Amino acid sequence: MAAKTTSNSRRALDRNRDPFLKGKITIGIVVSILFIAPIIWMLFVSIKPDGFSTSTPIEWFLPPYTISNYITIIMDSLILRWLFNSFFVAFVTTILTLIITSLAAFAISQMKFRFKNFIFIFFLLGLMIPGEATIIPLYEIVKNMNLIDSYSGLILPMIASPLGVIILKSFFDNVPKEIIESAIIDGCSYFKLFYKIVLPLAKPAIAAIGIFTFIGSWNNFLWPYLSILSETLYTLPVGLPVFNSTYSQAYVLPMTANAIASIPVIIAFLLFEKQIVKGISFTGIKG
Amino acid sequence: MNKKAWIQDMKAIPFLLPFLLAYLIFTIFPIFKGLEMSLYDWNLVRKMEFVGLENYVEMVQDPNFWQTLWNTTLFVMLTTPTMVLLALGLSLLANLNTKLKTFFRGSFFIPSILSVAVISFLAIFMLQPYTGLVNTVLQSIGINAEPFWMADKGLAWVSIVVVTLWWSVGFNMILFLTSLQDIPDALYEASEIDGASRWKQFRYITLPQLIPIGRVVILLQILASYKVFAQILLITGGGPGGATRPLIQYIYEIGFTQNNLGYAATMSYALFFILLILSVIQLKNQRMEEK
Repeated sequence: MAAKTTSNSRRALDRNRDPFLKGKITIGIVVSILFIAPIIWMLFVSIKPDGFSTSTPIEWFLPPYTISNYITIIMDSLILRWLFNSFFVAFVTTILTLIITSLAAFAISQMKFRFKNFIFIFFLLGLMIPGEATIIPLYEIVKNMNLIDSYSGLILPMIASPLGVIILKSFFDNVPKEIIESAIIDGCSYFKLFYKIVLPLAKPAIAAIGIFTFIGSWNNFLWPYLSILSETLYTLPVGLPVFNSTYSQAYVLPMTANAIASIPVIIAFLLFEKQIVKGISFTGIKG
Repeated sequence: MNKKAWIQDMKAIPFLLPFLLAYLIFTIFPIFKGLEMSLYDWNLVRKMEFVGLENYVEMVQDPNFWQTLWNTTLFVMLTTPTMVLLALGLSLLANLNTKLKTFFRGSFFIPSILSVAVISFLAIFMLQPYTGLVNTVLQSIGINAEPFWMADKGLAWVSIVVVTLWWSVGFNMILFLTSLQDIPDALYEASEIDGASRWKQFRYITLPQLIPIGRVVILLQILASYKVFAQILLITGGGPGGATRPLIQYIYEIGFTQNNLGYAATMSYALFFILLILSVIQLKNQRMEEK
């Protein structure tokens, strides 16, 4: 409480002292508008009549508007299918990542077994291995497993996240010893201890890792670009450029496709902004 | 005693096994597989013949390898300082004492949640000559230069760097912002009593307090920029005349267009060691910060 009062009084003092505050706010407004202008432009272009073009910028934002482009794209293109693929792959990747990383982190944090330190260091090494630089042999391995051009081939190589194990382990380490010991005395099995007691206590870490795995998979380009050959299995980042490249001068329909691809993530961002921001300061600093 | 340890091991195995399997197959094994591939003449269909170090000799003598490695390095040198300065500036704006600050933060961050396909497409159409938004706005304020953004080497780099900054600065901005908010108010109060000017407060309190996170941002940015591929492929296609083509694009072309996975794996190894060295430095730095 006391801290809050001092910080408020300082802020009040600031307002009096900073003669340039209004100017700085104006700069902030201008820069903010520059940052979101392309996105706003995309949304306006997507509701212009098909074939519209102009050399007067303001006309992009003026009526007439129509939603018929949305209907055309949804009915006649694979965009919805790609949207589903992206969502499905990101969702399953996230769930599997959370399951296997939290299980491994629990074992390292709470169980006794031989070579534990060695195994943990072996996992830590993964932080230094750049996936982009091993993607050619990865392609060969996935090909030999007959998983090229499949959902499994998209998902399985992406789930072993060493960073996830490390963050979760440090979270599990902080679970009070008394809770664990009393549960063990009560005859609680390790698995019960894991999902009834330890896992619920690590919710913030799980949320952060979940959000980042999901965004990472949603935006992943290189791996689906290499490993998916069928149009029906494309994810959005791979499918959209193919779709866009069939239109070289027309703006409206491809822009609608891009808007359809973006509107769900923009809504998700507005809903989860706080958690995303928290998650960045949480995982970003850790690596 | 030994038996008891063995029972403990058995209990841990179900917890460790799923992660361990995925990690071994998809993270560790590719490193060794890549070494094998780099020693063979190897195409998309199958392994051909053992060629020893021939692929490595070819790499050292391949001007395209050096050119694309240089292009990637140039991208790192162009984006790192600009990214850090922009992220710092934006975080200061998003930390201003105003009700608009959540709006500022949201606007600076929102481009980074968009797919690389979307931001590249927006860039192409905004920068298109004659009808693109950028050139028409330039026209309407009286600049009739009509630049061809993708056809000129310098302008193509400017386009890629500006688009990359716009797209990905949000993440770094948040890292700076978190650090700004962690600076104790007491430091500012004490200096106010001493009569320090706002500039002096910024110079002697804010900036020094941001150095640790600044170091993290620089290293993360170098690491991320060395992996550049998607936005360049989609915006300029590596052009004009290969002037912006990054190493990963060249690796992709050798492997999948020219059907030479062995040589592609060899160049991947070069990239692997560059990135490995950078992440060791980055992790060392972070270990230092935590202490």
